[in-house]
Amino acid sequence: MSVAVQPARAAKPRQMASLANLMRRFGPLLGLLILCGALGAASDRFLTADNLLNVCRQSAVNALVSLGQLAVIITGGIDLSVGSVLGLCCVMVALLMHAGVPPAASVAAALAIGSGLGALNGVLLTKLHLPHPFIPTLGMMNVARGLALVVSGGFPVSELPPGFRFWGAGSIGWLPAPVLVVAVMAGLFYLFLGRTTVGRDIYAIGGNQQAARLSGVPVDRRLILVYGLSGLTAAIGAIVLAGRMNSGFPLAGVGGELDSIAAVVIGGASFLGGVGTVSGTLVGALIMGVLRNGLNLLNVSAAWQTVVIGIVIVAAVWVDIVRQRAAGKGRK
Amino acid sequence: MDHPAPLLDLRGISKSFGSSVVLDAVDFDVHAGEVHALIGENGAGKSTLMNIVSGVLSPGAGDMYWDGRPIVLDGPRGAQELGIRFVHQELALVPQLSVAENIFLGRCPARRGLVSFREMHRRSKQVLAELGHEIDPRRPVMELSLAEQQLVEIARAVAFEGRLIIMDEPTAPLDDHDTEALFRTIRLLRGRGVGLIYISHRLKEIFAIADRVTVLRDGRRILTRPAGEVTHEELVRAMIGADLKERLRHPPAGYAQPEEALRVEGPIRFALHRGEIVGLAGLAGAGRTRLLQSLFGAAISGVDVYVNGRAIRLRSPVDAVRAGLALVPDDRKSKGLVLGASLLTNIALAGSRGRFLIRRSQERQAAREWIGKLRIKTAEPDHPVVYLSGGTQQKVVLAKWLMAGARVFLLDEPTRGIDVGAKAEIYDLIRQLAHDGAAILLASSELEELTSLADRTLVMHRGRITGELAGAQATDEAIMHLATGGVN
Repeated sequence: MSVAVQPARAAKPRQMASLANLMRRFGPLLGLLILCGALGAASDRFLTADNLLNVCRQSAVNALVSLGQLAVIITGGIDLSVGSVLGLCCVMVALLMHAGVPPAASVAAALAIGSGLGALNGVLLTKLHLPHPFIPTLGMMNVARGLALVVSGGFPVSELPPGFRFWGAGSIGWLPAPVLVVAVMAGLFYLFLGRTTVGRDIYAIGGNQQAARLSGVPVDRRLILVYGLSGLTAAIGAIVLAGRMNSGFPLAGVGGELDSIAAVVIGGASFLGGVGTVSGTLVGALIMGVLRNGLNLLNVSAAWQTVVIGIVIVAAVWVDIVRQRAAGKGRK
Repeated sequence: MDHPAPLLDLRGISKSFGSSVVLDAVDFDVHAGEVHALIGENGAGKSTLMNIVSGVLSPGAGDMYWDGRPIVLDGPRGAQELGIRFVHQELALVPQLSVAENIFLGRCPARRGLVSFREMHRRSKQVLAELGHEIDPRRPVMELSLAEQQLVEIARAVAFEGRLIIMDEPTAPLDDHDTEALFRTIRLLRGRGVGLIYISHRLKEIFAIADRVTVLRDGRRILTRPAGEVTHEELVRAMIGADLKERLRHPPAGYAQPEEALRVEGPIRFALHRGEIVGLAGLAGAGRTRLLQSLFGAAISGVDVYVNGRAIRLRSPVDAVRAGLALVPDDRKSKGLVLGASLLTNIALAGSRGRFLIRRSQERQAAREWIGKLRIKTAEPDHPVVYLSGGTQQKVVLAKWLMAGARVFLLDEPTRGIDVGAKAEIYDLIRQLAHDGAAILLASSELEELTSLADRTLVMHRGRITGELAGAQATDEAIMHLATGGVN
């Protein structure tokens, strides 16, 4: 009897596992499509080419910051400083151009500042043996924001050169320039995380840091690199944002760290580390953007939007956990 | 000894997880005032049986009697209420709390909702005194020695009408002196009519303390006899099984070549040759794991390390891997593997230094090759390693180092927690490594493992190497002598 029952039992979990696997891969995307469908039904202005391109442009900054945040979260860490680093870079690039530095050099300087501060987070974490990345990045969050206010005197630095503004406000044909920037960076991150040994090291560190260390992975160097990359993407986000707003605003990116963390976890990454994808993160950033845009179109107040986004974050992660539990049961 | 009914009587207990039978119709009983030793190799079913006794697992089949009355335990709480106590190997104490607070954890004597510390201290002192010890009940547990902490754990077990105490390898962290003190405590408890189940790997202790002994092997009861009527040799044969013993016991491989592969100089000094298997023996806490992990990249001050005759600087495992060293850590789950990641990722992890891009097809092919060579039972390189058995996981760890081209292998308890069949396969693999010219340092607590694999055995005591024994000299007595600080 039991012999006859066994094969059927064995076959079913495998199906479930692959279904769970599909859900894991495409769950966030499915959520995005459902959301778009619902908003399209609720507002006839939502599903227009113009509006959708607009959503992409608005989501670009968060998407860029989220790429770096993704790498950090894959290692099992968290970077609370990205919003403030973005703000500082925004101000710096604008101030440098106002001081007569050519846009290209100003941009390079901003990118250097962003990656430098990010790498400093990594150094503080690994060399001072701080107990958790929360601590150095929380410190950096305050330091960078404070510096942004100090160097700008608290005022926005407005009127930037048109060539610079292109990367935030311009388009190539119908394609918004920020979307192009996101596409290029996402492609690079996809190759880096998935196709290089360094990327694999990063997943291994998140999966089991001690095992990675004892397998010869230079854990400290990898972590410094990852936090450096997180600072870099925050700086790229700053360039795009400054271009779009035509100003370097010292309070730019307030709450950006939380938006990026939300995008990454909505995209299926695990806070425990070792899990996360570029595609999921992009979808996560789009879900955030679509929600804001759609709720605007529906005349929902900014205050209520925040409430909705909070609920979505918790719901998305909860769904993910249910999914994983199903996958775990399917395998065992 | 003549008792009306055993305190605890298990009859025909069976348990299986999925398709694997862990316990197969096991009988086991303990009388009040008796020490009944339970021995067997890892995976023999001891833990499962004890988890059933303490109510953590429910038996698949069989009957349990307590004081002659049939019982069904519904969870750990039910076992607690009967007076069954489990003194775990990893002590379950809260280090920041005081001795008394730990003893009374969850049952603090209270008056009108306020804890009565005076009462708690008085009764703690009394319980400890009854066990023949004086520990200030106000001291935080973290200030105590391991032996004292264990005593607190035992005090907690007996303080609230513990009638049956299960001790899981209680002497593992203790030295001789503390072991003797523990035995005095056990005899005292026995005299007070407490029943004890004593789990240990150290056969000598069985003869010193147990009244009866039961051997489990592969989930079956092999023998139950008074400890005075059974010999060391009989117990070993019962634990290992005659056929398997033949399979495991080989003359040491003898593939040693004259070329030196690893030399360590300083306060600790020894050398490994190519093709040589060198055993590393010592009691728990003698420093074997520390030595191996230090060799693998946490520089020991004043120690110089030479690989293939060249001095190397070991600042981190990165240097060690570059020099051709491999570490198979004592705990593969927390240190050896990225459990959530695939077989392929794990196997390729160490071998990918110095390359930036992953060459996928090449890597996959190499991984498949090692999966085949090591007879790793799995369908897919993309399968996560978390679902593999212990023996298969250990093979994945070895495959990782083979793919990285390691030539010096530091193996720390490579067969811990691995079933006996897989153990024989790991032994074959280790011999094969030596045959292919790798140098192997094998740290093990199992004498059988050392005598059947090692060309010679180094013995450690308190962080130092206290002696060296050639293959045939490495007897239980000789190793124990050196491991407890005797001179060669």
